[in-house]
Amino acid sequence: MDEQKTTGIQRSSTRTKRVRKKKKNQLPFGIAVLVLAIIFGILLGTKNQGMPIFWITGLAFGYILQRSRFCFTASMRDPFLTGSTSLTRTVLTAFAITTIGFAAIKYGAFIKGLPIPGQSYVVPISFATAAGAFMFGVGMVIAGGCASGTLMRVGEGFTMQILSLFFFIIGSLWGAHDFGWWKLNVILKGKAVFLPDVFGWIGAVIIQLLIIAMLWIAADKWENRKNLT
Amino acid sequence: MKEVELDCLGEACPIPLVKAENKLKEMEIGDVLIVQIDHSCAMKNVPEWARKEGHNVEVEEIDDGEWEIIIEKVK
Amino acid sequence: MDIKKNKYYKLWLKDAWPYITGAVLLSMFQIVTLAVTGNPWGVSGVLATWGAWMYETVGGSVDKWYYFASEGAQRTLEGGFINHGGSIRNIGIIIGALIATLLSSGFKIKKLKSWKQVVAAILGGLLMGYGARIGFGCNIGALFSGIASLSLSGWVYALFLFLGAIIGSKLLVKYFM
Repeated sequence: MDEQKTTGIQRSSTRTKRVRKKKKNQLPFGIAVLVLAIIFGILLGTKNQGMPIFWITGLAFGYILQRSRFCFTASMRDPFLTGSTSLTRTVLTAFAITTIGFAAIKYGAFIKGLPIPGQSYVVPISFATAAGAFMFGVGMVIAGGCASGTLMRVGEGFTMQILSLFFFIIGSLWGAHDFGWWKLNVILKGKAVFLPDVFGWIGAVIIQLLIIAMLWIAADKWENRKNLT
Repeated sequence: MKEVELDCLGEACPIPLVKAENKLKEMEIGDVLIVQIDHSCAMKNVPEWARKEGHNVEVEEIDDGEWEIIIEKVK
Repeated sequence: MDIKKNKYYKLWLKDAWPYITGAVLLSMFQIVTLAVTGNPWGVSGVLATWGAWMYETVGGSVDKWYYFASEGAQRTLEGGFINHGGSIRNIGIIIGALIATLLSSGFKIKKLKSWKQVVAAILGGLLMGYGARIGFGCNIGALFSGIASLSLSGWVYALFLFLGAIIGSKLLVKYFM
C-alpha cells in the first residue's frame, strides 16, 4: 500500500484552531542516547567479544520496529477485528524473504557437511504448541503487544507495557516451572518436522513460498471483500 | 455540521481504532471527528483505515508523542 | 531554521516508514543474526532467564527445575546478564525504540488510564509468558524464526495464534474497552 502523506487534505471549515503549547525538541536527547548506546557497545566488546553483535542487532530491531510501526500482534488481530490486512501481508512478505535467506544459510552449511545452524528452532509439534500459541494469541491482543512489541513500547514510554513485561516475565517463570510436566506428558509425544526432510530443500522452499503467496492473496481478497460492503 | 472529540489518550491499539469506528457510525455526513491519541501505532492505523473508507483525513502533531486525527465523514 | 520542519529531518528521522520497509529490514537483520550468531532471533526465552534471575535475587532456586537443568541453561544463568546475548539484544530493542522515538521527537510517558488496563496488562502478560514457554517461543522465536527455519511447528503455531487472537479480540472489545 502507498504511504499517504498527511498534507494536502481539505481541512474542515468548522475546525477551530487552538493554541498549542510549544513543543520541545527531543532530538538532542536522541543523539545523546545514541552516543551512549555506541559507547556501551564498545565497552561491551572489551568485556565479551561476542556481545556487540547482539547489542547492534537489538538496537536495529528496536529502531526498525518503532520507525515502521511494525506489529506482529496487529498482523494477527486486524483481519478479524478491523478487516485490515496490510500488516498481515507485510509480515507474510517478511516470512518469504527470511525463508529464502535462512534456507540459503542452512543449505550452505548442509552441503559443506557442517552442522545446520538454528535447528534448535525446529521444535516438536504437540498439543503444547497449540495451547501455547493460543494462550499467546489471547494474551498479546489483551496486553496490546507481543514480546517484541512490548519491549518496543517500553522504549516508547508506555507504563502499561512495563507492567505487562513484568508479568510476561512472571508468566515465563511459571511456564518454565511447569515445563518438565509438559515435556514429559505432552511434548515428548510430538515430532519435530523440518520441511526439507520431507520435500527436499528446493521442494520445501517452493512449497513454503507458494503457501505464503496463497495466504497473501487470501489476505488481500479478505480486505477488499470487507471494503465492498 | 458538528465536531466531535474522542479522547483516546493512553489507549493502546486497537482500542482507538475500534472507538473511532463506532463513533463515526453514529455521525452524519459532513461531521468532523477528532481522535486524540498518543499511541504511535494508532497514529498510522487510524488514518489508514479512515482513508480506505474514503473519508477526508488529516493528522496533526499537537505535542511530543501526541496527535489529533481529524476525520471528515464524507459518506 | 526550525529543524522540525526540515524536509530531510522529516524524511530521515521522523516520518513513519511504510510497513514494507520494516519487513525488508527486519528480514535482513534476521538473516544477519542467523549467519553471525548461529541462531535466529528470539525474544521470549530470554524473559524466562530474567525471571530465574529475579527469583534468585529473592532467594529462590531454579536449579531443580527441568527447564533450567541443562548444562547450557545453567551456564547462562551463572554467566550473568552481561554475557547473555539474548538479554543484551532485548535491552537493545528497548533502547533502539527509545532512540527512534526521541530522534523523531515523539517520546511521551503514557500513564495507565484505567484499572481495566492494569488487569489487561497482568492477564495478557501472564498468558503470553506461560504460552511462550510451553509453545517454544513468541511471535519472533516460534512464529517468525520458526517459519523461516522451514519448521512445520511455525505454521501450527501461526494457526493457533490466529485463533487466540480472534478470541482475544472478542474479550478485548467486551471487557477491556
